[in-house]
Amino acid sequence: MKVTMKKLTALLFSLMLVMSFVLSGCSADSGKKEDSTEAPQSTDAAGNEEDGKKAEDGKDEFQSQILFCGSSSLAPIMASIGSSFTDEYVTWDKVDPSFPAENISVYVAPGGSGVGVNSALEGSCDFGMVARTVKDEEKAKMSKDYKEYVMAADALTVSVNKENPVCKVIDDMSTDMIRRIFAGEVTNWKDVDASLPDQEIAVYIRDLSGGAYEVFQKSVMGESEITASATQCPSMGALGEAIAGNKWGIGYASYGVYNQNKDKLQAMKVDGTEPSEETIIGGKYSIQRPLLFITNSEVSPAEQAFIDYVYSKAGADAVAANGYISTMDIK
Amino acid sequence: MKYLYGAGRNAGRFLITAAAFMTALLLGFIILFIVKESLPLFQEISLWEFLSGDVWKPISFTKTPPSFGIRNLILSTLYVSLLATGIALLISIGTALWLSCAAGPVVRMVMYALIDLLAGIPSVVYGFAGLMLLVRWFQAAGQTSGESVLTAALVLAVMLLPYMISLCSDAMLRIKERYFPAARSLGVDKWYIAASLILPLAGKSILLSMVLALGRAMGETMAVMMVIGNSNVFPTLLGKGETIAAAIALEMGTAVQGSTHYHALFAMGLVLIVLLCLIQAVITVIKERLFIQLGIRERSD
Repeated sequence: MKVTMKKLTALLFSLMLVMSFVLSGCSADSGKKEDSTEAPQSTDAAGNEEDGKKAEDGKDEFQSQILFCGSSSLAPIMASIGSSFTDEYVTWDKVDPSFPAENISVYVAPGGSGVGVNSALEGSCDFGMVARTVKDEEKAKMSKDYKEYVMAADALTVSVNKENPVCKVIDDMSTDMIRRIFAGEVTNWKDVDASLPDQEIAVYIRDLSGGAYEVFQKSVMGESEITASATQCPSMGALGEAIAGNKWGIGYASYGVYNQNKDKLQAMKVDGTEPSEETIIGGKYSIQRPLLFITNSEVSPAEQAFIDYVYSKAGADAVAANGYISTMDIK
Repeated sequence: MKYLYGAGRNAGRFLITAAAFMTALLLGFIILFIVKESLPLFQEISLWEFLSGDVWKPISFTKTPPSFGIRNLILSTLYVSLLATGIALLISIGTALWLSCAAGPVVRMVMYALIDLLAGIPSVVYGFAGLMLLVRWFQAAGQTSGESVLTAALVLAVMLLPYMISLCSDAMLRIKERYFPAARSLGVDKWYIAASLILPLAGKSILLSMVLALGRAMGETMAVMMVIGNSNVFPTLLGKGETIAAAIALEMGTAVQGSTHYHALFAMGLVLIVLLCLIQAVITVIKERLFIQLGIRERSD
C-alpha cells in the first residue's frame, strides 16, 4: 500500500475529527451530566474546577437552568419543588422582573450522596444533594464559596415487612442485635427469637454512594463490617420497595420512604426509641441524618431566587409530602 | 452520475477513507484513555492481588484497610454471561430452525418483526420487568431473596434472543434455499435435512452469534444490576452476585477523582475489555480447527 498524499490527508482529517470530539469535552458548560470516556473531561481535576468557576461567573449569560445531583432520598423532594416552581412561574421574568424572559428549568439527577459531594466539588452540577453530614475532609477540599443549605431531618428506620411474624413478637431491637444482623453474625430469623420460623434473613442496604451507608456504619455498625451477602440497592426508594416485596427482608429504609410505605413496612424501635418527629428532632433516636444541598461556587441571582422558594411554604410542604421533617425556618 | 468522475469522486473517496480511519482512531483513543486511567492502580497493589482478591472494599469506615479484590466480580460476570448465552442459544437455534424450515413466508415476516421488537425494548424496562415478575416468582417459589444469578441470566437471555435469532435464521434460510430443492427431490425427509445438513452448515453463524451475544451480555449493566442482588460474594446459581458493569455503575459517581477507588473502577473496565478480547480470540482459533475437523466447508455465495 503506497502512502499517498491523499491517504495522509485522510488520516490527518480524521485525527482532527477525533480531537474535536475529545476537546469538546473541555467546554465550560455547567449543564454537564456524567463523565464519559473522553480524555480531558475527567483526568484534569484542576481543569474541571476552572470549568466550574467559569460556568458560574457567566456575567454576560443569565443562568436559566439549575442542576441538582446527588442523594436519591432528597431527589424526589427537589424534583417536586422544581416542578411546582416551574409550574408557578414558567419564565424567569415572573419570578423577578429584572430577570430575562427565559424558560425555567430545574433538573434533578439522583446517584447517591457521594455523587452529590463530588459533583459540587468538581462543579459539574450547580448543587449537590447530600443526605448525611459533609465530612471535614470534604469541606477542606471545597473553595471559599462553599455553602450548605439544610432542608430536613431524616432518620434511618430499621424496617421489616409487615407480614413478617416478628412484628407480633418484638417491636424493639437493641443496637447490638441490629449490628449483628447486618454484620451477618445472625443470619436466621429463628436466632432473633425462638418462636420465629427457620428463615434466612434478607438484608438490604444502600450501595457505597448512598449517604445512608455511611450514616448507618457510624451509628450502628461501628467497627463491624456489613456482611458481603447483603443486597445493595441503587436508591433509597428501591430499598423500601425491596423490603416491601420480601416477607423476610430487613433494611434501613429512610423515615420518608417508611412513611410512604407504611402499609407494607413496620419500623422497629431502636433501643426502645421509636422513630417519630419528636424523637428525631429531639435527638433521642440514634440513627439520624440531615438532608441538605451544597454548592461550591458563587450563587447566581437565579439560583438565589430558587433557594428562596425552597425555603418557603412550598418547600416545607414538599418535604412533608415526602414524609420527611422540615427543619427550615420559614420566613 | 457525474459524481462518479472528477472532483466528486475524489471527495467521496476521501470522506469514506476518513470515516474508516476515524472509527479505528476513536477505538484507539478510548482504549488508551482507559489504560491510562487504570495504570496508577497497579502502583499501589499488584495485578495478582487485584485479580485474585475476594474482598472488594474500596472505602473503609472501620480500622481494616481498603482492599480491591475483584475475583468475585469477574466470576459473577462470566457466570451470568455464559449462562445467559447458553439459555439463549438453545432457544434461538430452535426458533431459527423453525423459522427457516417450518414457517411460511408470511408467518416468517411477522415473526421477524416481533423478534426485532424485542431488541427495541430498553434494558431498564427489562430490568424492571425482571424485578416485578421474575423476582416475585422466585420469592413465591421459596427463595429468600428473589434476586439471584439465575434471575439475571434469564432476563439477559431474553435480551440476547433477537440478536441470535436474526443471525442464525438468516444463515439457515440461505442454506435451506440452496440445498432444499435438491435434497427433497432425492426424497430426503425435511427434518433429516435440517438436522444433518442445515444445522452443521450454519455452525459458523451460530458460533458468530454466540460471540456477539456474549459480548452484549458481559457489558449489560442496567438490567443485570436490578435483578442480581449486588452482593460481592462467590456466585452460585441461586445466590446473589455482582457483575463488573454493575459495580462500575453503582460506584463511579462516588469515587473521588484521582483516588485509588477511581483507578480501580477503570481497571475493572479494562479487565472486562481484556476478557472479551480473550474470549473472541479463543473462539476464533477453535472455530477454524473445529470446522476443519468436522469436514464442513461452506462454499461462499
